[in-house]
Amino acid sequence: MNEYASPPAACRAGLAGAEALDGMTPDDIAPPASPDDASLVLAIATRRDRAAFVALFSRTAPRLRSWFMRTGLAADRAEDLAQETMLAVWRKADTFDPNRASAATWIFTIARNQRIDALRRAGRPLPDADDPSLAPAEPVAPDAAYDVAQAEQRVRAALLDLPAEQAEVVRLAYFEDRPHGEIERSLGIPLGTVKSRLRLAMGRLRARLLDRDAPDRPMQDQSRVGGRP
Amino acid sequence: MNRTPKHHPTESTLLRFAAGRLPASHALVVAAHLEGCPACRAGVRAAEIVGGALLAEMPAAVMAEDALTRALARLDEPASKPAPPPPARDLAPGVPLPAALRDLAVPRWRWMAPGIHRIALDIPGAAPGERAYLLRVAPGTELPEHGHEGEEITCILSGSFSDTTGTYGPGDVAEMDEEGDHRPVADAGVPCICLIATQGRLRMRGLLARLIQPLVGV
Ligand SMILES: [Zn+2]
Repeated sequence: MNEYASPPAACRAGLAGAEALDGMTPDDIAPPASPDDASLVLAIATRRDRAAFVALFSRTAPRLRSWFMRTGLAADRAEDLAQETMLAVWRKADTFDPNRASAATWIFTIARNQRIDALRRAGRPLPDADDPSLAPAEPVAPDAAYDVAQAEQRVRAALLDLPAEQAEVVRLAYFEDRPHGEIERSLGIPLGTVKSRLRLAMGRLRARLLDRDAPDRPMQDQSRVGGRP
Repeated sequence: MNRTPKHHPTESTLLRFAAGRLPASHALVVAAHLEGCPACRAGVRAAEIVGGALLAEMPAAVMAEDALTRALARLDEPASKPAPPPPARDLAPGVPLPAALRDLAVPRWRWMAPGIHRIALDIPGAAPGERAYLLRVAPGTELPEHGHEGEEITCILSGSFSDTTGTYGPGDVAEMDEEGDHRPVADAGVPCICLIATQGRLRMRGLLARLIQPLVGV
């Protein structure tokens, strides 16, 4: 063991699978990133701390493997990408800025980019440079008053507060390439309904990130989208 | 793009962008918009936070027995240094190339039709049927009426165009799905320069296909 002992298995295992959000309340769920995740990444960044990497790997790699499989990759591919994501965490640790994002959000963006990169490489070679089109979103509010931990907590709480049918379409968007069409087919609800649920859900999540009340209507003028409403 | 955009990608598009599920060419157009749009960056960030929460809720899968050993053995591999970002450059006088395009080869403008020039972009990771172009349309030029069988997304980089749905200026995004029909006209003043991604190989009847098909046989 090392100084970064793993949390109890019950805590580590998290919530099971796709139904995790349904019927949960904020009290049922521990914050996805225990503060330790950020400390571990910072220990890697500042000291190349292998013990910190071991602790982070034990806690995170198994969930990454599940995540990649859930996005449709085969088991061996998911295993490889979990490995690659953890190596990217090691190599990019010095780009982690706890004033901009939690460790959970930062690791998600790395995992997402690893997956995109792997799928693109499958078609053709890519330069190894970071693709600027995959860069994580910039800080939301560049003023000192922006508290990352609070802002992210508000978003996670809002996610748990979403009506089940809104949470469902949001969640599916992470796992389907054509969320509208797929959701329409798999849930048997009209396309317009899917779109309006997504719009409502995203409006709430964004509003809570910015610490505003959720808009009744979309917060801003959407671009037009031709065709069926 | 100093102006605050008025027309934005749909929430669905922002969510798919943040989730890593947009086609490569479409993601590039969204990225160009995000450079000038704090509101949409907030939407993307909210969706990234959701991604982190969903990832944290995943059940812990059983990794291969030697997974950690193999990872540790690779920690000392020399990391390939990312190339320094290419210098900023202009697409036209006073129109900077979006940062999202800086790593791409951007060839010269080529004549396509009266009043219309284009640059075909070679997007790494683009799926068959996906296309990305820069289009430069002379003031007052009317584009042929067209529909879409795949999704089309456009980000205006300079100038503006109008159609029945409104006027689109620098930073604005227009999304069209397969059911839309429109007939955009570049407004007077400066040329309208935009970045366009389209999708749909065989069924594509989109703006660019219409324009290009008779000329270059795409
Ligand atoms: Zn926007």
